[in-house]
Amino acid sequence: MCAIFNRSLLLAIFVVTTRTLAADIWTGEYSFDETYIGEANVTRGKLRVSNFDESNTFIRFVLTPRIKLGVLRLGVEYEQFSFGLSQRAPLPNTLQSVAAVVGIDTQISDSVLLRVEAMPGVYSEAFRSGSTDFNMPFVIGGTYIYNPNLQIVLGISVDIDRKYPVLPGGGIRWKFQPQWVLNAVLPTPRLEYELNKNVTVYIGADLKETNFRVGDRFGSDHGLPQLNHAVLTYSEVRVGAGVDWKLTNWLSIDAEGGYQPYRSFDFYRADIRFKEDGPGAPYGMISFHGAF
Amino acid sequence: MAKFATVVPAPRSLPMRNVHPIYVSVVALLMLVERPASADPLSELSSFSVFDKIDLAQLAKTDVKTAHGPPMANPRYLSVQSCYVVSGTPGQHLEALRNWNPSAHRELKVFMHADVPGSPTEAAFAKIKQAPDNAAMRAFVAATNKMSADLQLSREEAARWKPGDGTLAGAIGDFWINVLTGRARAFASGGTSALAPYNHTGNAIRAGEELNGLLREQAKIRKQFAGFLDSTGIGRGSGSLKPELYWEMLNVEDMGVTSLGAFYGRATGGGAEAADVFYYASGGYYADLALYQMWPVEVNGKASTLVWRGDMISSASLATLRGVEKLGSESAMMKDVAKSITLFRKDTAR
Repeated sequence: MCAIFNRSLLLAIFVVTTRTLAADIWTGEYSFDETYIGEANVTRGKLRVSNFDESNTFIRFVLTPRIKLGVLRLGVEYEQFSFGLSQRAPLPNTLQSVAAVVGIDTQISDSVLLRVEAMPGVYSEAFRSGSTDFNMPFVIGGTYIYNPNLQIVLGISVDIDRKYPVLPGGGIRWKFQPQWVLNAVLPTPRLEYELNKNVTVYIGADLKETNFRVGDRFGSDHGLPQLNHAVLTYSEVRVGAGVDWKLTNWLSIDAEGGYQPYRSFDFYRADIRFKEDGPGAPYGMISFHGAF
Repeated sequence: MAKFATVVPAPRSLPMRNVHPIYVSVVALLMLVERPASADPLSELSSFSVFDKIDLAQLAKTDVKTAHGPPMANPRYLSVQSCYVVSGTPGQHLEALRNWNPSAHRELKVFMHADVPGSPTEAAFAKIKQAPDNAAMRAFVAATNKMSADLQLSREEAARWKPGDGTLAGAIGDFWINVLTGRARAFASGGTSALAPYNHTGNAIRAGEELNGLLREQAKIRKQFAGFLDSTGIGRGSGSLKPELYWEMLNVEDMGVTSLGAFYGRATGGGAEAADVFYYASGGYYADLALYQMWPVEVNGKASTLVWRGDMISSASLATLRGVEKLGSESAMMKDVAKSITLFRKDTAR
């Protein structure tokens, strides 16, 4: 039933898209981010998982064709967290997600834009058996355009696998000086300074949180059978500074460095949670992104 | 979160106090020519605009209705359409459009506005030396001093730059007076076809070609205004209609921009049509055009005018926007157009 529904939905989207789009179909955006986070520790009571590093890869490709209703968002994204854990550590070594991006940006009035975007896909522990259940988190957000220099964003994020399935979010984007922008919109609030037309420097944060399903035997293999097929909420906070250099109209490079003060692995349904212990870890990130 | 280009120039100011005799005679002649009758204004409106269903009584109660124009393939282009009802005849509305000066409204970001005679002289632009001292104007002065690539000039114009005292009252003012005079004369004699391209850095961009491109991508609008536009200098050589010329200094994305504009208007049967074009800009956008179609209507027993306005713009910065950013820019443009119409209506209702 679910598969039929999804296929019908995709077919419908394809038909609508090919009928209504002309030359505008090949517009889109992409991002390839790679982050390395140095060694840090997490604890749960007396249990401590020490000195493991992290590599985070994020790839996103979204077509943004224009239709009468607004701008469609159709694409795919992939994310991987790889941790340098020992085999005995009761945490997954690799978390992987692959999801479609299906959404639309539309104009409600001359002051309000609305985004509805779903990321249906698989959020797994390295695609192990039992960890590839389908999930479809989605966001609904509105932007109120007070004027070209000030916009207010409000929205909700919905994920039925999350401890609190519905979470509010938002922020403001305020260009308060010709070269200064307070882009305080969650999950990546930033203060930006435009050095010139092509180079922007910034300080800011990145609040990441994704829910993954671990494999059928993950718990048994780690001496915690209640964690078999469990949902894991992985969260981390990064604070840092970076420079975004626009090389061409379609390619920008973003280099960022900073500190990760917080991280947690939360099997909330089993009430087992590992959280940051100690001073955190430094990180470095490089991103290639752009629009075409 | 998206960024929003704010390239929409402030709406028009057309204080045309000296109506040229030749213009009067052309208008009088045109008024005698019967325009093909359309079924009714609303049918005609829906035939070329994005407004399919308009309830006239409802529209008369509201301030202004705006909508984004049809998507265009060229990423530099953006358009917004609006419609509204005002009391009075189309002729009165056309006259009000001519006489309205938006520079009184600070929020429209027009620092200076002045008429330019049909035979442009340097004296018409002398006031540029007294432009207000603000951040946008300082950015304009700095850009001129270093002959920034952001300035839209021809190679010949750029070659005439001679660094002097570096002030608007001095060498910079002289330079721009020279540029504006040359361009206004070229337009007056040969329409946009006579204008030099923007080519002092990078590829050559011609304002006339941008205007033609904007109209080409909006075929219904081009068809609706074909007869009128053929008699103007918009996207072609000088036409039979005499334009009213003006220049402005405005703020576009925190940069002072000096622009040259021309207004054309004519009565058509009981209605009227007008075109207001920025055929030169020192930066920010390549060209900008606002078209007006006005029909006589009766609302609550009172003579009124149904107005359709189409704003279209070509700008390099729009080409860098995608997806929601472009949508945001359209919203910003819609808000700006709505704001200008609201202010215009308040001013002219007095």
